[in-house]
Amino acid sequence: MIEADDLTIDYGSSKRKLRAVEGVSFRLGQSESLAFIGPSGCGKTTLLFALSGLITPSKGSVKIGKKKVAGPRRDVALILQNAGLLPWKTVWHNANLSLVLAGDYPARNAQDILEELGLGNVKSRFPAELSEGMKRRVGIARALSISPSVLLMDEPLASLDTLTREKIQDLFLTLWKDRGFTLVLVTHDIEEAAFLGQEIIVLTEKPARIKGRVSNREVGPLDYRQSEAFDRTVKALREELER
Amino acid sequence: MKQVLIYICSIIFLLFLWEVASIAINTINSSSVLPGPYEALSQVVKNGAELQRHFLASAWRLVMAMLIALVAAVPLGLVIGHERSVDTFVSPMIYITYPIPQVALILFLFLIFGTGSATKVAIVAIVLFFQILVSARGAAKNITEEYLVSVLSAGANRWQVYRHVIFPATLPSILTSVRVGIGVGIAFLYIAETNTAQGLGLGSFIKRYMLFGRDRAFAGIMAMAFLGLVLYVGIDILERILCRWKYVKR
Ligand SMILES: Nc1ncnc2c1ncn2[C@@H]1O[C@H](COP(=O)(O)OP(=O)(O)OP(=O)(O)O)[C@@H](O)[C@H]1O
Ligand SMILES: [Mg+2]
Repeated sequence: MIEADDLTIDYGSSKRKLRAVEGVSFRLGQSESLAFIGPSGCGKTTLLFALSGLITPSKGSVKIGKKKVAGPRRDVALILQNAGLLPWKTVWHNANLSLVLAGDYPARNAQDILEELGLGNVKSRFPAELSEGMKRRVGIARALSISPSVLLMDEPLASLDTLTREKIQDLFLTLWKDRGFTLVLVTHDIEEAAFLGQEIIVLTEKPARIKGRVSNREVGPLDYRQSEAFDRTVKALREELER
Repeated sequence: MKQVLIYICSIIFLLFLWEVASIAINTINSSSVLPGPYEALSQVVKNGAELQRHFLASAWRLVMAMLIALVAAVPLGLVIGHERSVDTFVSPMIYITYPIPQVALILFLFLIFGTGSATKVAIVAIVLFFQILVSARGAAKNITEEYLVSVLSAGANRWQVYRHVIFPATLPSILTSVRVGIGVGIAFLYIAETNTAQGLGLGSFIKRYMLFGRDRAFAGIMAMAFLGLVLYVGIDILERILCRWKYVKR
């Protein structure tokens, strides 16, 4: 379960304040999925950083489970906008990084998840030797290696070509259904939000405030993109964004 | 392999230029001022054993100075580059002391450390220390935010941030500063070694023969150039091993 209450985030000093997020509240149950959609630069990354405990909000709070978030937690995984791979580490060491930091490696390692994501034979390569799609999958492997209860994703599929993007969206959906983590993703892509978010929150321009909510409960089947419900959600999102 | 061939060709070409210069200068002065590469090389062979002793003494000093400078400058540079509160406090001290001409310290160091190896190692270490410090600090300041966020979001502690991000990210810049430092280091080692005409070291050897027996002095200069080359190539090889990620095919 993850819950935000009147979340407000400012950058800069008290004299020259720059508000990035204002009064965002939501509540999400275990194993549910939530997508935030908003224009570029509105404060999506900032919002996600606050959920992960990287930034302390100026006002309001975030709760995961029963505990207030006060810093990064071992059971929450964050996938960054550009996968966040370290160029000096091989695929193997990038995928195992979270486990190494937690002190669980090598007793636990990312072998199985790498195999599952089709990265079994590129383990000794460096990120520079991978395609964009492969890099995203390594980022996913790292995030899932710790079996998180909450997965936060920051536009995980920006800058991918359409086919690769849809393939990885399918992968996310499958992993989410199989593993039962709570999923929060931010995106500026309408179809991505409609394909992955059971609940979608539309954000305003900077500072990000909640502009509208769209319920999208039929998320789940891999052929959801072809359904009428999907079209309805896309249309509703478009209207909300243009409003 | 191709690299080695290119090095050999460059060396031959430089020796050829040297020969031309030597002939030209000696013709103009109508006496033997600048020995040619042949004379110098035959002196290298003739004085092999003696030259080797001096070479090893200089090499040992230079490598020691490098290690001391690295051990002192890398941690300090990375910390002041990364921790802003330390930076505001320490950086002014660095920028005030950095422009002091370190040559001016040589005589002073002789007073402290005596005329042995210690002074010579110390002066070179001081020079390299500043070079590496400034590079390490700059590199640590310019680390891509994304890499830091990537480990911080996974709960990295301070030591892990240095170990997994800051050190590997700055290593190429640090090695580059060492590479640049070799030239300056050799120059300072030479100055320090020529301050004591007695004793071991290529600087002393060169100074002893510069006026009478210039062929031999140039043999010493060749040995010094060779020392620089060996270290330079050594660091290149080290970088290829430690920073293999920079050399993978895209
Ligand atoms: N560390 C920071 N210090 C000051 N201002 C910042 C900082 N990070 C972001 N901002 C500002 O906060 C606002 C929101 O940034 P944020 O990165 O959260 O937006 P975003 O919606 O993720 O953008 P994008 O669509 O480009 O990913 C921007 O105006 C940005 O300039
Ligand atoms: Mg962003």
